[in-house]
Amino acid sequence: MVGTTRDFTCVAYLLPVPRRSFLRACAASAVGLLASGTIVERLLGASTPALGPEDPEVPNEEVARILDRISGARPIRRGHVSLDMPVVAEDGRVVPVMIETDLPMTATHYVKAVHLVVDHNPDAHLAAFHLTPALGAASISTRIKMKRTTWVRAIVETSTGEVWADYSRVRVSLNGCG
Amino acid sequence: MTTAIGEARIKVPDQITRGDLITVNSIVSHPMDTGFFRNADGVPIPAYFIKQVVVTYGGDEVARFEWTSGISRDPVVSFTLRADKEAPLTMTWTDNQGATFKHSVNIGFASA
Repeated sequence: MVGTTRDFTCVAYLLPVPRRSFLRACAASAVGLLASGTIVERLLGASTPALGPEDPEVPNEEVARILDRISGARPIRRGHVSLDMPVVAEDGRVVPVMIETDLPMTATHYVKAVHLVVDHNPDAHLAAFHLTPALGAASISTRIKMKRTTWVRAIVETSTGEVWADYSRVRVSLNGCG
Repeated sequence: MTTAIGEARIKVPDQITRGDLITVNSIVSHPMDTGFFRNADGVPIPAYFIKQVVVTYGGDEVARFEWTSGISRDPVVSFTLRADKEAPLTMTWTDNQGATFKHSVNIGFASA
């Protein structure tokens, strides 16, 4: 639906309506669409388990507790987040991680936390990044240690209570945790 | 290259215009010991790592990171910032032994 709205703005030049008020109307309808979409998703999400059927399985109690603590029983849905990691990490001591989202960063609707969970690491809840709208976007890069081949979870919490995630399976050649 | 623990660098673009979405790159020198390794004599090396990073911009806290020893040695972190005022950007790293390391850069706008 975002794509549709963008297309409309291109047409704006051809319309007799003053451009500013047209754009304002477009923005208003985009907000309306987004809001209604969220409500529908929330209704659907309420009846599904915390993770979707195609998400990586929870391997142990510790990861289950971490996911519960982050999500607070809200569904963790895949989307709006991109976790970029190498498929194969030669050296588990230094594995690059890049987390990006397309979620808004406004005063009323922003990404308030980005969590990094590495399933088979000794300290699975590796990092939490608490953000504010002043950052303008939610985009974090860092380098982490990985003990062995496992799933990595990037879980994002918004100020409005949504929880979004993306997952990467990383093959680790050299243990980086001791 | 030998750098003292806590020595830090923050890099922001050279040319910034008000309202730009800039990328901030940072690095701090720290061993980030997990506590799982032993030294050559078989003595365990205790856990020693940065556990918190606080970022302020013009005095306002804009981000706070909670870390474990799972972050790599000499931690790097990059994030975005909306450059909407000329003010210092300060990062404060705190390790699990209570030491704090602070570094600032000034966000200034190119004169038009």
